[in-house]
Amino acid sequence: MYIDPGTGSLIFQILLAGAVGFIYVLKMHWLKVKSFFNGKFARLRRTND
Amino acid sequence: MTEQGVAGSFRDPSGFLFIKDGVLYRQVNSVYRDHYDHLMNSGLYDNLVKLSLLVRHIEASASISISQPAYKVIKPDPIKFISYPYEWCFSQMKDAALAVLEIEKVSLGYDMTLKDCPAYNMQFSKGKALLIDTLSFEIYAENKPWSAYRQFCQHFLAPLALMSYRDICLNQMSRVYLDGIPLDLAAKLLPSKARFNLNLFMHIYMHAASQDKYTDRAPDKKALSRRISKTSLLGLIDSLEHGVRTLKWRPGEDDWYRYYSDVSSCPDEYQDQKKQLVSDWLDKIKPGSVWDLGANTGKFSRIACEKGIFTLSLDSDPACVEGNYLMDSGPGKELMLPLVIDLTNPSPGIGWDNTERTTLWQRGHAETVLALALVHHLAITNNLPLDRIASFFRKICNSLIIEFVPKNDPNTQKLLSSRADIFPDYTREMFEEQFSKFFKIISSSPIKHSGRILYLMK
Repeated sequence: MYIDPGTGSLIFQILLAGAVGFIYVLKMHWLKVKSFFNGKFARLRRTND
Repeated sequence: MTEQGVAGSFRDPSGFLFIKDGVLYRQVNSVYRDHYDHLMNSGLYDNLVKLSLLVRHIEASASISISQPAYKVIKPDPIKFISYPYEWCFSQMKDAALAVLEIEKVSLGYDMTLKDCPAYNMQFSKGKALLIDTLSFEIYAENKPWSAYRQFCQHFLAPLALMSYRDICLNQMSRVYLDGIPLDLAAKLLPSKARFNLNLFMHIYMHAASQDKYTDRAPDKKALSRRISKTSLLGLIDSLEHGVRTLKWRPGEDDWYRYYSDVSSCPDEYQDQKKQLVSDWLDKIKPGSVWDLGANTGKFSRIACEKGIFTLSLDSDPACVEGNYLMDSGPGKELMLPLVIDLTNPSPGIGWDNTERTTLWQRGHAETVLALALVHHLAITNNLPLDRIASFFRKICNSLIIEFVPKNDPNTQKLLSSRADIFPDYTREMFEEQFSKFFKIISSSPIKHSGRILYLMK
């Protein structure tokens, strides 16, 4: 890399990584669960119509 | 055959821009070979171009390279007009920031990452922000942090936060700080309530504190060697994206409608006749480009765009440019580029040797300029003599559609309401005399229901 990423920035990013990674995984799982139930309710609605 | 390097393109050893016989090329140096090949062969280039996130290019002959060791020479699609972050309205900056994060997200899926992300690498083309530096990508090294994180926070997040939380005009700080606004300065300027925005708290306040801590200290090799997974990187991008999306700016009522209150005293017939004249004269001149100065929300710029003419729509009021940029797509919207420009203090040359980022006028030449409802602001508010205004317009365009707003016009009277009338030469006769020294007046037409006169000059 030719730019200076900055020691303080790199270290901060590494410190933050665990927390943001964890929140991201939770968010992705939540979206999967939401999409699963949305799909199920959509199918139920279609069957009832 | 003439060739020259582009002044602002020298920092990256991977390659640089140069112009040969009037055509812009980018040399890809041998040191960048593996990264370039991965970009092109992995499918990332095709995907980003399809998403309109990366500039398209074709490969030219390597024999036209201007230094060694060169791997390839590529010819990127030219951008109609290069603009800089301090000329963007709030939503343009926000869209550019979101585009960078989208590019990084997509790239990680192809095992690549952005090694830098200065705002200058983003340009507006066809109404959208895209990356113009094809050499910004590098092969993703497993478990390494994102090297462009600092640049993203300084070039995008800090200016957006300052515009949103403090004042819209603070994007001008980007003109002073070429590598983005220092985070400690941004932290000092932001109001205390910004700390309650979790993403700003992390990426500006805590980030600034970390930078400060390690400024004069030897690098902590143990800390730097710790690994950071791709999932964590995606989490970081997601957090930055959320932070950018939550930043909003809405102009106040006064700002939005300042101009409309100006012309509310002029009836619809005035607007309609003016639009028809501008349209007819543009059909007569058929210019390749139009610069609309003092364009407000771009009502007249749109006339040029709808005729298929690329139009720069410039105004000093960030609220007007914001309104212009956000206006619903109509025919020709892709041909419009709205920018925040103060005509009395336009963008200077800055950076190394004052040539890294060029003046507004060095970046393009207007074939036709629209100067509607403008000259009274220049002459009266800014005390500019008419001959200076005329010589300025002569310098910047081939032809001019200009509106003379006489002294007895209600809007000119408003400008004179709190000051002495020291403008004995601001008359129609003097206007025509001074402009005739530099232009040939092809046509003129008084506009009904106003004392104003529209001129076509060449």
